[in-house]
Amino acid sequence: MSNEPKKQKKEVTRRQFLAYTLGGTGGFLAASMIVPMVRFAVDPLLQDKGESEFVKVIALDKLSDEPVSVPFKMLQKDGWVEEEVDLTAWITKNASGQVQALSPICKHLGCTVNWNTEKKYPNQYFCPCHGAHYEKNGKNLAIATAPLDEYEVKIQDNYVYLGKLGPNTKVTT
Amino acid sequence: MLKSIYNWIDERLDITPLWRDVADHEVPEHVNPAHHFSAFVYCFGGLTFFVTVIQILSGMFLTMYYVPDIMNAHASVNYLQNEVAFGNIVRGMHHFGASLVIVMMFLHTLRVFFTGSYKAPREMNWVIGMLIFMVMLGLGFTGYLLPWDDKAYFATKVGIQIAASVPLIGDQIKELLQGGDIVGAQTISRFFAIHVFFLPGALLGLLGAHFFMIRKQGISGPL
Amino acid sequence: MAQGKHSDEKVLYVGDSRVRQHKNSETTPRDYTAYPGKSETFIPNFLLKEWIVATVFMVGFMLLIISKPAPLGETPANPMNTDFIPMPDWYFLFLYQLLKYAYTADAYTVFGTVILPGLLFGALTLAPFLDSGEERRFYKRPIASSLMILSLVAVVYLTYVSWTHYQHELDKKNPGGKAVQEEKKKPEKKKAKAVALVAEDDPANKNVYQKSTCLMCHGTDLKGMPPGVPTLLGIGDKYSKEEITKIIKEGIGTMTAQYDANIAKGLTDQDLDSLAEWLSKQKSE
Repeated sequence: MSNEPKKQKKEVTRRQFLAYTLGGTGGFLAASMIVPMVRFAVDPLLQDKGESEFVKVIALDKLSDEPVSVPFKMLQKDGWVEEEVDLTAWITKNASGQVQALSPICKHLGCTVNWNTEKKYPNQYFCPCHGAHYEKNGKNLAIATAPLDEYEVKIQDNYVYLGKLGPNTKVTT
Repeated sequence: MLKSIYNWIDERLDITPLWRDVADHEVPEHVNPAHHFSAFVYCFGGLTFFVTVIQILSGMFLTMYYVPDIMNAHASVNYLQNEVAFGNIVRGMHHFGASLVIVMMFLHTLRVFFTGSYKAPREMNWVIGMLIFMVMLGLGFTGYLLPWDDKAYFATKVGIQIAASVPLIGDQIKELLQGGDIVGAQTISRFFAIHVFFLPGALLGLLGAHFFMIRKQGISGPL
Repeated sequence: MAQGKHSDEKVLYVGDSRVRQHKNSETTPRDYTAYPGKSETFIPNFLLKEWIVATVFMVGFMLLIISKPAPLGETPANPMNTDFIPMPDWYFLFLYQLLKYAYTADAYTVFGTVILPGLLFGALTLAPFLDSGEERRFYKRPIASSLMILSLVAVVYLTYVSWTHYQHELDKKNPGGKAVQEEKKKPEKKKAKAVALVAEDDPANKNVYQKSTCLMCHGTDLKGMPPGVPTLLGIGDKYSKEEITKIIKEGIGTMTAQYDANIAKGLTDQDLDSLAEWLSKQKSE
């Protein structure tokens, strides 16, 4: 190509044109291969999480201001594995009828908290592992850095339904 | 910016001659379909390589979801095909690509045969090519079992039965392939390992040798 | 470039390579370096053409993939499935068919599985040494070419016979539905929902169900033992109170009539009635 006359500025030489076409064709080939595969790989990120299903747990009139530990089962879908998992929630109903369901998983290192078991901390959730304790609404008092997680609650026909687990909404810092 | 990075590396490693050798080598007119349309027969080798690249990439991505285990294999394939976005495309690429590799390779082999391109000094490259052919057939055979549906299971059973008819060592071959007494849990993990690690490793080595020899010996001349 | 930097070199090479060219090669067609100016650089000129071919190929390939999903059997492999006609992948069909002939089966199986394919692949692998003449044109080396064409015809024929035989067998298995075994509809999504126990403290539960014979199979928590024994959670969606009473009295599927056994256990008709009522309340919502 060295014997080609020097072209003026901005004019595309034959060699450049070839190079661009080559890049374009190669880009098309690579993209048509890679794009579906990358979309395939990142699917878990983009998959619609959907509205979580609510599970009927306990009758409303059995709740009081005193937390009760309620076991329930929820269907967990993990790819092609679908199974029922056993879960527990500490459920309270305050004077104004508001229901709160707390996860018993300690926010410190994931042990299980219990209500009112430690004499030093009456009427508090207490974690036997490292002594983390929480107020009734889940507010963290010591050791743990975050309040206890909370299940989504739905009341229907005087029954409590629990949904997705999320961060505590009742605690204001 | 890019140019200065390139120059920085080039000063240290002198990489220009490496790619210049590949980029600037002359390719003869008689293999160029733009000159003689009949020269398209020379494209099959390149297409085989192209599909092989598709196979390697799609295979890598498929293993993100696939589980080589009799309890989960079918469920995971079913999941990745029907529930994951573009799963049918990626699995389709791998499934149909497998057949197309064989087709393209077959056509490439016929081209080389009928143009007599395997003659001296290129005998070794032909032998390497035949080894690639057999590795590809092996990949086809081992990959066929992995979805663990009835088709996969019975095809593998038949294949292993054929291998077992080899005199003297037939039973040993059978047991080695199965990893046990039956086609089952141990077979699938064995086939997976062969399909994903051993044969592709061999394939890459052979392809390297194949291309090195082509580069070294050039394309055979026109007839 | 092809001949190296020194054009006065005496050694001639094949192509742009370092392999020496034979002197006495008058029958060998001339190499392309004998046609100066008729070659082009690999990048970008040649590769562009190669990639245009690849693009055409890729478009066709993607159309195929989009229009036809990769087949997948409906269920995991079932070794007990005797209805299934075993079939290897299509490119092994000719080897598979080969085994069905008189001299490749029974006592001669080794001939069909080892010797013949071995000869075939062995000869193909060693082709450059068996066909070592210098002539490259296929019509000037009749033996090699005719052997190759013969094997090709044989392979195509065997594949064809095997495939039509398979289709024929399929037709026999399920007339009219050729493709049934090939490709089935996507399996319907199972919706296994967690169903809660309804009215747990109904006296019918504690006083009747927990004393009845039901829990021997269906369990104290009504979960059953799937897949053999169905769960009773959500049974109200499926059966009414009357139907449940009937099932208790007469049995269903593999479940035998339970009425007498329960009466023998001390339950009364009234108890069973309340039990059926309680079970019929077991709805998923």
